Amino acid sequence: MNYGYYPGCSLTGSANKLDKGIRQVFAKQGHTLKEIPDWNCCGAFEFGDRKELSEFSKKNLEKARGLFSEIVAPCPACYKNLREADEQNEFAVTHPLDLFDDAFIGSIKPVHDLKGQVFTPYYGCILLRPKETAIKRTTVMEEVITRFGGEVAGEKVKDRCCGGNQIFINKSVTEKLSKLVLEKSKGTIVVFCPLCHMAMKTFSGERKVIYFTDLLLYIMGENVPKLQSKIERGGKEETT
Amino acid sequence: MKNNDQSRVFDLTDYKRQDFSVCLGCKICASVCTVNDLSENTNPQDILQKLFLGKDIPADEPLVRYCTGCYRCTGACPWNIRIPEVIRALREELAIESPFEKAFKGSLSIWGRVYEPYVLLMAIPFLLKGGYMKHMTRWMEYMGIHLPHKVKRA
Ligand code: SF4
Ligand code: SF4
Repeated sequence: MNYGYYPGCSLTGSANKLDKGIRQVFAKQGHTLKEIPDWNCCGAFEFGDRKELSEFSKKNLEKARGLFSEIVAPCPACYKNLREADEQNEFAVTHPLDLFDDAFIGSIKPVHDLKGQVFTPYYGCILLRPKETAIKRTTVMEEVITRFGGEVAGEKVKDRCCGGNQIFINKSVTEKLSKLVLEKSKGTIVVFCPLCHMAMKTFSGERKVIYFTDLLLYIMGENVPKLQSKIERGGKEETT
Repeated sequence: MKNNDQSRVFDLTDYKRQDFSVCLGCKICASVCTVNDLSENTNPQDILQKLFLGKDIPADEPLVRYCTGCYRCTGACPWNIRIPEVIRALREELAIESPFEKAFKGSLSIWGRVYEPYVLLMAIPFLLKGGYMKHMTRWMEYMGIHLPHKVKRA
């Protein structure tokens, strides 16, 4: 399958790991991701004027017109903005989590299992709300973790807010909210949103925070140091 | 202080004043609001009511300052009212903008995209004052350095 791909700004910078992960996972499944040519920023949450905000994504849809019918956008903010701008449902704007269906999970040939490891799948806000743009597969991370032998924890915080949106406005808000999530969860935090990733990483101390794509790649046989035992890593100490 | 041009607030959202007449005053929104996890005592319904009645909303109202845009209120509201979008419009109208948000928009006007190194550079005085520097090492672990991209304008 060929998908139009909208990485969005953070995936070209602070969330480059998510970008690489998505590309690798899709490639392993035999799918092609092709970037929308010259895409521009979606405006994230930075505009109070709904029409002004929508214009950014309308421009991106314009650039995709005639080239793609299905667009994949991993960043929750980009995904929501694009979907809302596509008022006529001209495109299928899809979040990768919704493409990770039963057939996808069934097709994974596991090389590593997750036995003995505890994970808190953390979706945050925008993937789950508002309902018009929410993803459909709201337990996909749990399904993958349990299927490959891991233990799921932190069910109560999976949809709580990390306050990431306030990190460069009122940092104390993000600090307090992220710490609430961290306190009420267990094990490795598995995220999908670049902003959740940043908020969690900033305040997580020694706790591990990983992208869901890294978890998938680990199961598929890639080396992900954070998920490997010291012996698997050749006895080296963990660095990040 | 009469500081809201409320018709502008409505212009910025997809709502009209009368849309808020459906609000039941049930305060379910307040019971789930993330800002209340911060030991602030806030009530999103109060904002809607003030807008409906044309009453002033001060810029230091905790919800205006701290709303995280989490949509928990919307998800729980029987009318699905998109309160964070109303609050975002209020912030715009009250011209509440952090130096970081300014830098973000600056980057957009130059490159059409957010170029993070530029945004961080432009916001340095704010980052220094706000105690962000101590997080820099951790951010550098995963940020990655790349050159800006120039979006071709049509
Ligand atoms: S979106 Fe804002 S008002 Fe609504 S629950 Fe979240 S913090 Fe509260
Ligand atoms: S939940 Fe909705 S209807 Fe109830 S008070 Fe809040 S805004 Fe009004």
